[in-house]
Amino acid sequence: MIELAVNNVAKDFGGLRALNQVSFKINGPELVGLIGPNGAGKTTLTNILDGVLKPTTGTVYLNGHRIDILPPYQVALAGLGRTFQVTRAFRRMTVLENLLVPAMALHATAHRKDMEEKAWGVLEFLTFEHLANDLGRSLSGGQQKLLELGRLLMLDPDIIILDEPFAGVHPKLMETIYEYITTVNAQGKAFIIISHDMDTIFTLSKRLLVLHFGTLIADGDPDVVRHDPAVIEAYLGEEDDDALTTTISQPGVHHPPPEGGPENDRH
Amino acid sequence: MENPTIFYYALLWIIGWGAVGGIVSPRIYARKDLDVSQAGLVGTAVGAAGGPISLLPFWYFTPTLNWRWIVVPSVIVLGVFIAAFAKADPTNFCVARSDYLTTQVANGLVMGSIYGLMALGLTLIFSILGVVSFAHGEFYMIGGMAVYYIGTVWFPGLNPLFSIIGAAIITFLIGLIFEVVFLRAMNTGQVERPGEYAILVTFGLAFFLQYLVLALVGANPKKVPRFVQYPDITFPSGAEAPLLTMNVRTFSFFNSITISSTRITAALVSLILLGILMWFLYKTWTGKALRAVSQDRQAAAVTGINPNRMNTLAFALGGALAGVSGASLVQVFSWVPWVGVLASARSFVIIVLGGMGSLPGAFIGGLIVGLVETIGAGCIPDPQRATAYIPAYGMVILVIVLLLKPTGLFGREL
Amino acid sequence: MSKRNWLVWGFTLSGIVLLVGFPFLTPNNYIMHVSIIAFFFAILASSWSLLAGYAGQFSFGHMAFMAIGAYSTGLYSKFIRLGTAPTGICTPEIKIGDHWLFFINAYGDNCLDIAKKTMPVGTLIYRLPPWHGIILAAIMGGVFGVLVGGLVLRLRRTYLALFTIGFSEIVRVAINAEIAITDGPNGLQLQPLFPNGMFGFSAVDKIPPYYAMMLLFVVSMLFMYWLTNSRFGLFIRSIREDEEAAAALGVHIVRYKVLVFTITSIIAAVAGAVYAHYVQVITPNILLIAQMSLVIAMAVIGGLESLLAAAIGAIAIEFMLELLRELHIGPLVVDMTTWRLVFFGLLLMLTLRFWNNGLLYPIIQRLTRRGVAEETVAKRLAGQEGDV
Ligand SMILES: Nc1ncnc2c1ncn2[C@@H]1O[C@H](COP(=O)(O)OP(=O)(O)OP(=O)(O)O)[C@@H](O)[C@H]1O
Ligand SMILES: [Mg+2]
Repeated sequence: MIELAVNNVAKDFGGLRALNQVSFKINGPELVGLIGPNGAGKTTLTNILDGVLKPTTGTVYLNGHRIDILPPYQVALAGLGRTFQVTRAFRRMTVLENLLVPAMALHATAHRKDMEEKAWGVLEFLTFEHLANDLGRSLSGGQQKLLELGRLLMLDPDIIILDEPFAGVHPKLMETIYEYITTVNAQGKAFIIISHDMDTIFTLSKRLLVLHFGTLIADGDPDVVRHDPAVIEAYLGEEDDDALTTTISQPGVHHPPPEGGPENDRH
Repeated sequence: MENPTIFYYALLWIIGWGAVGGIVSPRIYARKDLDVSQAGLVGTAVGAAGGPISLLPFWYFTPTLNWRWIVVPSVIVLGVFIAAFAKADPTNFCVARSDYLTTQVANGLVMGSIYGLMALGLTLIFSILGVVSFAHGEFYMIGGMAVYYIGTVWFPGLNPLFSIIGAAIITFLIGLIFEVVFLRAMNTGQVERPGEYAILVTFGLAFFLQYLVLALVGANPKKVPRFVQYPDITFPSGAEAPLLTMNVRTFSFFNSITISSTRITAALVSLILLGILMWFLYKTWTGKALRAVSQDRQAAAVTGINPNRMNTLAFALGGALAGVSGASLVQVFSWVPWVGVLASARSFVIIVLGGMGSLPGAFIGGLIVGLVETIGAGCIPDPQRATAYIPAYGMVILVIVLLLKPTGLFGREL
Repeated sequence: MSKRNWLVWGFTLSGIVLLVGFPFLTPNNYIMHVSIIAFFFAILASSWSLLAGYAGQFSFGHMAFMAIGAYSTGLYSKFIRLGTAPTGICTPEIKIGDHWLFFINAYGDNCLDIAKKTMPVGTLIYRLPPWHGIILAAIMGGVFGVLVGGLVLRLRRTYLALFTIGFSEIVRVAINAEIAITDGPNGLQLQPLFPNGMFGFSAVDKIPPYYAMMLLFVVSMLFMYWLTNSRFGLFIRSIREDEEAAAALGVHIVRYKVLVFTITSIIAAVAGAVYAHYVQVITPNILLIAQMSLVIAMAVIGGLESLLAAAIGAIAIEFMLELLRELHIGPLVVDMTTWRLVFFGLLLMLTLRFWNNGLLYPIIQRLTRRGVAEETVAKRLAGQEGDV
C-alpha cells in the first residue's frame, strides 16, 4: 500500500520562509495536482520530498519509513521518483543508457541484459524504439521529457512527482504525456503533478493541492477547490495569470466552500 | 627548536579539535533544526580555539551565527599558535628580535601588494568570463621576459618605464588573441561543456607558452638591472636613529625595518597600477561597463554593452596585469621560463582566499599570502626546509579554504 | 557471437599479439625503452580519461598519485631490509621466522651500517623484492585516493581543479624538502624491476620490463574496459552528465565518486611504482605540472571519452615525441627538444577548440560503434516485424 505522509514541513531560505507548515497525506494510487502561483514553493516541496533539500522543521514518511533524513538516492530507491522543472536527460548517453541507469541502481545484482529487455519494453511504451541508440542531447525538448518519464518507469517508484510536465510541449505530445500519466496511474502508482496548465490539471487530477506563499491553502476535490475563496483570492491577486481567471470564473454549479481549512486532510 | 613537543602538541590540539568541531557541530545544529550552513566553519574555528572548553558550551547553547563567530575564534587560534611557537622556540629571531619580525612583516606586505595586483587580474577575468585562467602565471613570466628583452637586449639603456609599458602591451595582445580565438567559442555554443573546456584550454595555453618561451629564449636565468638608482639619503640627516635611510640597495625604516630597493620599486609600480586600474574601473565608461557585466550579464547586454567585447577586454586586461607584475618583479628575481608556475599557483590561492571574483578580496588575499610566505620562510627554524616549503604555504591555505569555506573571505555564495 | 563482438575481439587479440611480438620484430634497446615509457603514459592517460572523461572529475592530481606510488616503493626499498641476525639498534626490528625485518632510520647515522660491524660473520642482509613495494604502492594509492576523493566531493569543476593542483604541489614540495627521507631533488635510487634478471635476461635488459609494463597496461585496460561496460561505467557517466538527476534516479553519488578516484589513483600509483623500478631513479620532477599537462594532452588529443583513444593517443604521442627529437632537413639537423612540446601544446589547444572528441576517437568510433548502433536498432525493429 502506498502511503506518503508530509507532516508540518517548513523550509527557510535565510529569512525567506518558502514553505510553511505543510501537511498532507497520500494514500494509495492517487492522482494529485499541485498548483500555486510562481514562487509558491512547489519546486521547493518537491526537492524536500526528494531529499535534495532538508526541511527546516517537519518530517516526511513514505510507506512508514522516514525519508526526509535520507539522501536523494535512497529516497529514490525507497520509491519516490521525480522529474525536474528543466529537463535533465543525460545528454551524452544514449536513450537506452539513460533508461538503464535507474534500473541498474534499483537492482544491485541484475544483469544488464535483463535490464535492457525491460528498457526495450519502456521504449516500446514511449514509442521510442528507433531512438534507442541516439544520444540524449540529440532529442527534442519534448522527447527529453518523455525520456525522463521513461527513466521513472525503470526506477519503478510508488510515487511519481512531475514538475511541470506540460510546460512548453506541443499539444500532440501533451496528449502522450497525459496518456502516460493515466496509464501508469491505472497500474497502481501515485502521482503528484505540478502544473500551471489549469485546464489540464483540473481535468486530470482527482485531488488538488494549492500552495500560496508556502502555505497549503486548499486540499480537495478540484471542483471544490476551484470555488474556494482563498484560492480565487490567491490567483486573482496575480496579474498575469489569465489561464486561471478563465478557469476559475467558468460558469457552473456553485459548490459550497470546502469543509475544512488547509490543515484538513482528505482520506 | 628547543621544545618542539610543545609546538607539535599545540598544533595537534588545534587540528584535532578543529576537526571535531567541524564534523560534529553541523550535526548538532541539524538535530536542533537550526541553520547549518555556517555551523561547520564556525564549529571548526571554535573547536580549534578552545577545544572541549569552548565546544561544549557552543554545542549546548547553539547560538545564532554571524561573522563574529568566525573572527573571534580565528584570532584566538592565531594567538595560541603564536604563543606555542614562541614557547617552543624562544631563541628564534622571529620571537627574540622584534626588528627581525617587523622586517619580515614589512617585506610580506610589500610582496603581498604585488601578488595582489597579479591576482586582481585573475579575479577580473573570473568575474567577467567565469573562467579561471590556468595560464595566468605565464603572462607574468612573459611580462618579465619582455622587460628583459626590451630594456636589456634590444634597447640597452632604455627607460624602464617603456619596457614596462611594452610588457603590458605584449601580454595584453596575447590575451586578446587567445580570447578571440579560443574563449569566445564558449559563448556561441561551439564547444561542449564550456566549464571543462575553459579549464583545459587555458591549461593548454600555459603549457604552450611555457615551452614556446623556453624554445625562444632558453633556460638560462635572466637578470635585469634595478629600474631605479635611489640616491643615498638619511632622513632626518645626521640623526642617530633616522626614520629613513636609503641607498642604492636597501631602504631602512626606523633603523630596524630593512627592505631591498628593488622590492620597493616593484611595490610602487604595482600601487601606481592599482590606482590606474581603480580609476579605470570606477571612472571611465568602459570600466563601468566591465563592472556592470560582471554583476549582471543580461542586464548589461540590454543597455547596449557588447558582452563579447567586454570578455575580450577583461581577459586581455587581466593578462596585462599579470604581465606588469612580472615586469616589476623581474628586477627582484632571476627569470626563467617556468617562474610562472609558482606565480599561477599563488594567484589561485589568493583569489580562492579572497573569494572568486572579488576585487578587494584579491588584494587583501594577496597581502595575507605575502605575509604568510615571508613569515613562514623567515621563521621556520630549519632555513633550508623553510625555503623549500615556500610554494607549499599557499597551497595549504588553498586546501584549507576550499575545504572549510569555498566562497573565501568576500566571495558571493556559489 | 555478433559481427560487432567478432570485430572487437579480433582487434583486441591482434593488438595483444602485436604488443607481445613487438620485441621480436625490433630487438632494439632504444625502441624497447620508448615503448616502455609509452605504455607508462598510456596507463596514466587512459586512467585519467576514466576519471575526467567518463566521470567528469577534472583532477590535476593524477601525477601526484603516480608519484605517491613511485615513492612508496622507493622508500620501501630504501628503508626496509631483511637480515639473518638482529642488529639490536634499528627500531623497529621485527622477527619473522628466523629472519629479522629492519627499519633503517632516516635521520642520523645509518643503524645498519653501524650494526654491520658487530653482526656475526656470514650474516646476510637482503633487500625485499620490488613486487612488495609495488603492492605497497597500490595500497598507498588507494588510501590517498579515498582521502582526496572524499575531500573533494563537494567541489566542482574549477574548484576541483584548483584543489588537486594544490594537493599535487604540496606532495611535490614535501618530497623536495624532506631530503633526509626522499633524497630530495637529487633523486631516490631504486633497485631494478628484476634485480636478479628474468628468463636468462640480465637486470639491465629491456625485454623483461617491456613485458612487465605491457602486462600492466593490458591488464589495466581490460579492467577499466570491463568497468566502463558495467554498472560502474553507467553510473559514473550519469554523474558526469548531471549529479542531481543521477541521485534522483537512485545512483549513490558519493560511493561512485570516491570509488572512481580510488581506482584511478591505484592504477596511477602502480604504474608509477613499476616505472620507478624501471628507471631506477625518481625525482620530484615527475610530478611537475608540465608532466601532468603532457598526460592531459595525450588523453585529449587521443579522445578524452574513450579509454582506448586516450591510450593510443599516449602511445602515438610518446613515439612522435621521440621521432621529433631531431629534425633532419637534408644535411641540416635541427634540435627540436623543446619545439616538439610547443607543437603539442598548440595541438592540444586546437584539438580542444575544433575537435571536441579528440583526433583518434572519431576514427575508433567509426570502426566500432557506429555500425553497432544501427545494427542493434535494425535487428530490434526487424525482430518486431517478424513477430507481427
Ligand atoms: N535554493 C534557494 N535559495 C534561496 N531561495 C530559494 C531557493 N530555492 C527557492 N527559493 C525561493 O523559494 C521560493 C519558492 O520557490 P519555488 O521554486 O519552490 O517556487 P515554485 O512554486 O516552484 O515556482 P514556479 O512556479 O515559478 O516554478 C521562491 O521565492 C524562491 O525564490
Ligand atoms: Mg517550480
